[in-house]
Amino acid sequence: MSRRGAELLVQALEREGVEHVFGYPGGAIMPVYDALLNSRLKHILTRHEQGAALAADAYARVTGRPGVCMATSGPGATNLVTGIANAYMDSVPLVAITGQVPTPVMGTDAFQEVDVFGITMPIVKHSFLVRRVEDIARTVALAFHIATDGRPGPVLIDLPKDVANTETDVPPVIELRRHQRHQPDPAQLAIARELVAAAERPVLYGGGGIPIAGAVDAFRVYAATSGIPVVTTLKGLGSVPTRDAGFLGMLGMHGNRAANRAVQECDLLICVGARFDDRATGKLSGFAPKAKVIHMDADASEIGKLRHADAGLHGDLLSSLAALPAQLSIQPWRAWCAERKVEHAWRYDAPGEFIYVPDMLRRISAAAPDLLFACDVGQHQMWVAQHCHFQRPEQHLTSAGLGTMGYGIPAGIGACLARPNARVLTVTGDGSIMMNIQELATLRRYGIPLKILLVDNASLGMVRQWQELFHAERYSEVDLSDNPDFVEVARSFGIPAFRITRRDEVEGAIATLLGSEGPMLAHVCIDPRSNVWPLVPPGQTNDVMMEERFA
Amino acid sequence: MIHTLHLSLHKVEGAVIRALGLIERRGFSVTAMHARTDDAAQQMELTIQFQSAGRSPEVLARQIEKLFDVRHVSLVKESGVALKESFAC
Repeated sequence: MSRRGAELLVQALEREGVEHVFGYPGGAIMPVYDALLNSRLKHILTRHEQGAALAADAYARVTGRPGVCMATSGPGATNLVTGIANAYMDSVPLVAITGQVPTPVMGTDAFQEVDVFGITMPIVKHSFLVRRVEDIARTVALAFHIATDGRPGPVLIDLPKDVANTETDVPPVIELRRHQRHQPDPAQLAIARELVAAAERPVLYGGGGIPIAGAVDAFRVYAATSGIPVVTTLKGLGSVPTRDAGFLGMLGMHGNRAANRAVQECDLLICVGARFDDRATGKLSGFAPKAKVIHMDADASEIGKLRHADAGLHGDLLSSLAALPAQLSIQPWRAWCAERKVEHAWRYDAPGEFIYVPDMLRRISAAAPDLLFACDVGQHQMWVAQHCHFQRPEQHLTSAGLGTMGYGIPAGIGACLARPNARVLTVTGDGSIMMNIQELATLRRYGIPLKILLVDNASLGMVRQWQELFHAERYSEVDLSDNPDFVEVARSFGIPAFRITRRDEVEGAIATLLGSEGPMLAHVCIDPRSNVWPLVPPGQTNDVMMEERFA
Repeated sequence: MIHTLHLSLHKVEGAVIRALGLIERRGFSVTAMHARTDDAAQQMELTIQFQSAGRSPEVLARQIEKLFDVRHVSLVKESGVALKESFAC
């Protein structure tokens, strides 16, 4: 039976189990959009291609399956780039499909021609430029395989229009053998066992690789049975329930002081699916200075990249965790860590009249323990990480590596579609929301019941904070006091919205927001001078944490 | 310090640029290169000399090894001793 390339592509997506595709049509990808009309795939029309890529990213994080986005050539393709980079930095399986100008005019500066294959090369796990219709089915199968195999990441398929329109008799079915998980080296495991057995002050340092590897339960079991205190990165939050007694908090620049102190004091750091990112380590040469290191990762190139590993366990985290000894004599160390946790517990008795966002977030988290948070980027992102509680990692969607302002609303859309029965809250700022505010139209179009908490300090808060602290209060281009009326903007998109400005309105606002049926936006006006504390200044070790001045 | 990498790549679109781009993005500079195509095997052989300002060439070799088009990587010291050798599955 003869089929067009575009039909082969759509059938290949169906075969991969894809249910939702996020995208935006245009000239070069019109054959694919035509084929979609005969498909069971549900296409979600975002209002900007970046929104499609970021929604697909969040969809992948929640489902554990590759998210799929598509766009046309030229500007459609370049608008996907930030979303692809976001997925690359956070190791998210994403398949991005772009239309391309017909092969006879490629390389001639044709209308809406751009070399997206070349542009995205540094930010994809792999990419394909499909020049023959016979290669489409195999390319899609390979793309899904590569996106999910080992350390996940984004894969680009660039499909010229003439290839999409060509007919072929090649069958659409391609079977690929799945790779086995790599097993850790027995010799390195033996070293790791000796290190654990000898340690007096061990710390588990968990990262985003734990949920990616499907190792959350194994990590929890090992943490519970060994009693080793746990710290996590931003992406690792929820790898153990954040209310667990042994959890000390997030480490790093805006981490909890107890977490940072434990890492700085430990004699063994067991890094599980983390990568010694600079926001976590501070000044690298002073990070965990007394510790030997066991580094477990699915990606061999992460081991030893930034910090020497005394034992490098490349491969399956489940196998590595199961092989470590759990009967340890570390009671004095556990007691010391527990004391630090009490000593450095968050305080919510902020003076003043303005709404105190950490306290509001804490209350939201307590009122809805199952809530799934989709964060934007900035001060509010750090407040969510510090003050909300997570039972599972996928409850916390955040742009960690790339720090993409504008992630929040598309991520919330992706999460709502991935888990239709979940309650999802986007926490955003007045800077971030303006980067993808057009996606309010997507909420409205599909009736997506996303709640939005807009924290408005009328400025680019994190940049303003750094200018205050590290640039002698020389404020440069951070004033956003000319923001639009966000309540009116939301209403103009058909989204109910309300505003609060006082502390005594917080409780009612939480009830209204979480109790509403459909989408809703709460506009929360706060003190423009609010800062995120504590803070490890850039270039300093995690011993040096600046504290809130009123405390 | 000058290091040498021997790479075998699948002869597919973008494979060479992907490998060279990775080397430069990771903070190394290419000082010499030789390439040879084996059309029958659909393979390309690259010998690349590069220098680093303190970053680990072994980590670089592992990063290159991850590229989907790479069949084989070997890292050679100035003395000619293979530091690391790997074959893709």
